Amino acid sequence: MQESELIVRRIKEGTVIDHVDGGKGLKVLDALGIDGKDGSLITIALNVPSGKYKKKDIIKVENRFLKDDDTNKLAVIAPSATVNIIKDYKLVEKRRVSLPNEIERIFRCSNPDCVTNSSEHIESVMDVIDKDGRVLRCRYCNRLLDVNQLKYR
Amino acid sequence: MNEFFQKDIISVRDLNKQKLEVIFEATNKIINMDPNKRREIARGKALGYLFYESSTRTRLSFEAAMALIGGTSLGISDVSSSSTQKGESLADTVKIMSIYSDVLVLRHSLDGSSRFAAEVSSKPVINGGSGTEEHPTQAIQDLFTIKKEKNKIDGLKIGIVGDLKYGRTVYSLLHALGNYDVEVHLISPQVLKIRPDSTYDIKKRLSFTESTSLEEYIDDLDVVYVTRIQKERFPDEEEYLKVKGSYVIGLDVIKKMKEDAIILHPLPRLDEISVEVDKTKQARYFKQAEYGKYTRAALLGLLLNENGF
Ligand SMILES: [Zn+2]
Repeated sequence: MQESELIVRRIKEGTVIDHVDGGKGLKVLDALGIDGKDGSLITIALNVPSGKYKKKDIIKVENRFLKDDDTNKLAVIAPSATVNIIKDYKLVEKRRVSLPNEIERIFRCSNPDCVTNSSEHIESVMDVIDKDGRVLRCRYCNRLLDVNQLKYR
Repeated sequence: MNEFFQKDIISVRDLNKQKLEVIFEATNKIINMDPNKRREIARGKALGYLFYESSTRTRLSFEAAMALIGGTSLGISDVSSSSTQKGESLADTVKIMSIYSDVLVLRHSLDGSSRFAAEVSSKPVINGGSGTEEHPTQAIQDLFTIKKEKNKIDGLKIGIVGDLKYGRTVYSLLHALGNYDVEVHLISPQVLKIRPDSTYDIKKRLSFTESTSLEEYIDDLDVVYVTRIQKERFPDEEEYLKVKGSYVIGLDVIKKMKEDAIILHPLPRLDEISVEVDKTKQARYFKQAEYGKYTRAALLGLLLNENGF
């Protein structure tokens, strides 16, 4: 067992988000709406040494299984994260997050003059035009969006 | 069936070279058509315009185009007198207008408003200028003018002069030019240079230079596309007065131009082209306005007729 896994307690049912880019852990919590208010056990480790020079964050959440929207958010915020689904203390599924071709609803277009930010009933749609470079573009206003500055709906 | 039938015209990005050429061909057909036959193209059809920003020129151009092909126009051009003032949503206004008309033209200040309107409309929507960067029918008109007046587009040296930052026609024109093999020179005051975050896609398809000096390129250009420089865009009046004169096309500038070069302007102009220039053979901006009527008529004809015209 690796040293990093010893830092936080094992969970019975839930999700372990590992390899979150160092420093992005709290942002991930915010994006996924993980605030502990439902009473579930949450353990977070920030700046865990990973490899020779890098640091990573780890998040363990009991009784929570990520939905597609969650995984998409993760892919934008912490592209190298892995999602581990735990059932009865066992790892039943491990997957990497990857950007979908389009992201609906979850982010707000950063262009204040975009129709998706108006009072009209309309959801945002962003096309991922470069998966490696993480370049998104609003389908409505065509503005390129800086993934580090995206705000959630 | 023609590929434009019942389609929305939202962004010039959706128009590749083949599609542009189809529109140009239809435009030539309109120009050469017998007027009586021409009036059959949109007989009994209505164009509904929703102009949330006033643009008399664009609206009149659409109305003239619709009249040319035998259709009628109705709509709202003064938002303060309309129900939107009472808080009606854009979506509702568009839905109602698509009941009353066969094709819609929207002019709106919000970016992406035309795409949204197209989603809620049951009739095709034409973007008549929305947000800061999209004005597809102006770009079609501009390219058609170049093609018609220079007999080609490929191989030309094109200078775009003036306010490149806020002029929505400029972005649409650059996207459209990306379909052709042209050399583009962008010439503007430092504070009105094109927005770099808006040229991400343009740069992949079009090479262009940026300069503040018209003098540097004027003798080499085949097309000089002039845009308005508005005083409001400058931080202070002194700054404006300093640069204003350097981008005015007068008879002195005409002398430096190639004999067969042409000058275009999306109009309305202020004083960036002197009136004396109107009489020179290089001046083609009124011709350009006329072509705007024909290109719009062609586009409307294609949208409204399953088998073209
Ligand atoms: Zn947008």
